[in-house]
Amino acid sequence: MPEAPAPSRSEAQERVDGIHSFRDELARLADEGILRLDAAQQAAVQNHHEHLLAEFAALFDVDCDSRAKQLSLGMRVASFLGALALAASVFFLFYQFWGHFAETAQVGILIASSFASFGLTMWLQRRDATGYFTKLAALVAFACFVLNITMLGQIFNITPSDKALLPWAAMAFLLAYTCDLRLLLAAGICCVIAYVQARLGTWHGVYWLHAGERPENFFPVAALLFVFPLLVAHRRFPGFAPIYRVFGLLCLFLPMLILSHWASGSYIDLDADLIEGGYQVAGFVASALVIWLGARRGWPETVNTGIVFFVIFLYTKYYQWWWEIMPKYLFFLVVGLTAVLILLILKRLRQTFHAPAGEGGP
Amino acid sequence: MRTWSRGRTLGVGIGLIVLTNAIALGGVWWNRSSTPESALTLSERELGLPWRSLRLMENSGLALNLNLRVAGRQAGEFAGGQMVNGGMPEWLDAAKMAALGFPVDAARADGERPQNARQLPREVILVMELAGPAWQRALEKARESAGRHAAAAAANVGNKQFADRAKQANDELAREENLNSRLFVIDAGLDARLLREKYPDRSRFLLLRGTVRPVTHSRGDGAHQASGYVSRVGNGQVHVPHALRGPLESAPAIGERGSGGLRFSAELLVGRRLEPWLIGVTPLAKDIN
Repeated sequence: MPEAPAPSRSEAQERVDGIHSFRDELARLADEGILRLDAAQQAAVQNHHEHLLAEFAALFDVDCDSRAKQLSLGMRVASFLGALALAASVFFLFYQFWGHFAETAQVGILIASSFASFGLTMWLQRRDATGYFTKLAALVAFACFVLNITMLGQIFNITPSDKALLPWAAMAFLLAYTCDLRLLLAAGICCVIAYVQARLGTWHGVYWLHAGERPENFFPVAALLFVFPLLVAHRRFPGFAPIYRVFGLLCLFLPMLILSHWASGSYIDLDADLIEGGYQVAGFVASALVIWLGARRGWPETVNTGIVFFVIFLYTKYYQWWWEIMPKYLFFLVVGLTAVLILLILKRLRQTFHAPAGEGGP
Repeated sequence: MRTWSRGRTLGVGIGLIVLTNAIALGGVWWNRSSTPESALTLSERELGLPWRSLRLMENSGLALNLNLRVAGRQAGEFAGGQMVNGGMPEWLDAAKMAALGFPVDAARADGERPQNARQLPREVILVMELAGPAWQRALEKARESAGRHAAAAAANVGNKQFADRAKQANDELAREENLNSRLFVIDAGLDARLLREKYPDRSRFLLLRGTVRPVTHSRGDGAHQASGYVSRVGNGQVHVPHALRGPLESAPAIGERGSGGLRFSAELLVGRRLEPWLIGVTPLAKDIN
């Protein structure tokens, strides 16, 4: 029988949380007289859990109790802010001094900084059980690589190209999947979004930097991002699939929202009112479908994104219809009553999907 | 999804860095490896130093602004309708726009403003002429304007308004003769080879990438005409290599407060990818006053 692969930090933390939940529920069941394990079973479970907790604590420095979890949240925030600050520092450090070096030295420094920061990230990853320092180093490595290519463009007057987004995305994904970093996954996804919409614009003859002015260019990448976690399982990276889905939905709903008020941005050569009305209807239908799908598959982030955009579409229509003609107290009363109605519908939906299936379910 | 081993990840990361840099630097080598596509001697008029106050303290690099001009449709009273770094040239009519790949429908060409004809900029190759007939026309306009206003001021001695206008026109002539860029966008196309055949003088005609955005130009009689707005691709700057920075390091820009600006000539080459680079900067003896 093949040996099971070592768990990732996220998987280990999930298991630790599960152990604590199990212990709490077992204690309640014992208090209520529903289930009481005998001494041998208790000892076996206790030993197994203690062994797992010790192993995970040694390997990943996971949070073994609620206090550690609270401190971890603070460390995550500090790590995130520190990573952004260090990345900015690398940019400004190079800008401060690069003019004092000859071109060969500039190129050498840029390439060396890419290698050094990437190597440091790999070295840290092996030694940093918490993952916080690895996150700092990984973001600096990504910043160094972006700086590397950007500055080569400036030094040699290279025509700006969307193709630079591809290696940046590749580096961001490599670091994200190696170090289990959602921040870099988001950076990689942003590069892919920018590249795909720019390519679509270019195929229509538009200069790539202006392709974003056609919001419909974002629809294909929206579908790609939403479907990707269905095609490629992310069991070892529990937080990744929701990020793909949220970015996919943003690429769907934001262009729809823009086009529902700005028909001239559309490829469709129809009457402006028809285009805007069509996208308003499409926005309502799509957000309702997304809420239904999210509730059915147990994807809370999908449900939440759908609700947010459904409400935005609804309230912008309310504003267009009634802001001018209604007394303000009546307008806000309608808005408030609508919120109550949405709550009732969602409550009904929750009862319908009482036992959600799929990953990441509540 | 399976995770890669550390060695494999390290290999892929290093390979990615090496490959990306190799492609970028290989492109630079390819651009500069043959006879330059264009080779012009420009001055501080066409390659402007950024103002010292605008040169960020945090950025030690130096780049010169490539000042291109477009002889526009709307002639102003003094400036003669020449705009810097973008504009709507006379020659960019409906036929030219169609040749550049823009769908110009019949209604638009006939003068009706179409309902939903918003198009986005396309990349084209711009032909820029250094100190050619377009600049001569701008100079003539400035001279004619200065002469006309001087005559009007002479006929209305004591009238401050006429005197001010004459001074303003005279200042504009001085700027046109000494300070304004002589690099005018005179044509655009999609094929660099064909454009070079049409404009064979590589020391006078500069080919660079730029963008054209379709616009609807009002002819003044209520009718509309398809036209385009020309602008340069990228940030319109040329990086100054470290070896050439010396004379420009602390030099003031033209028009900068408290100084006249440095006169210099710069050798600009453009390679086969139409990417420019500087090979020489020579300060001239006299500063601009």
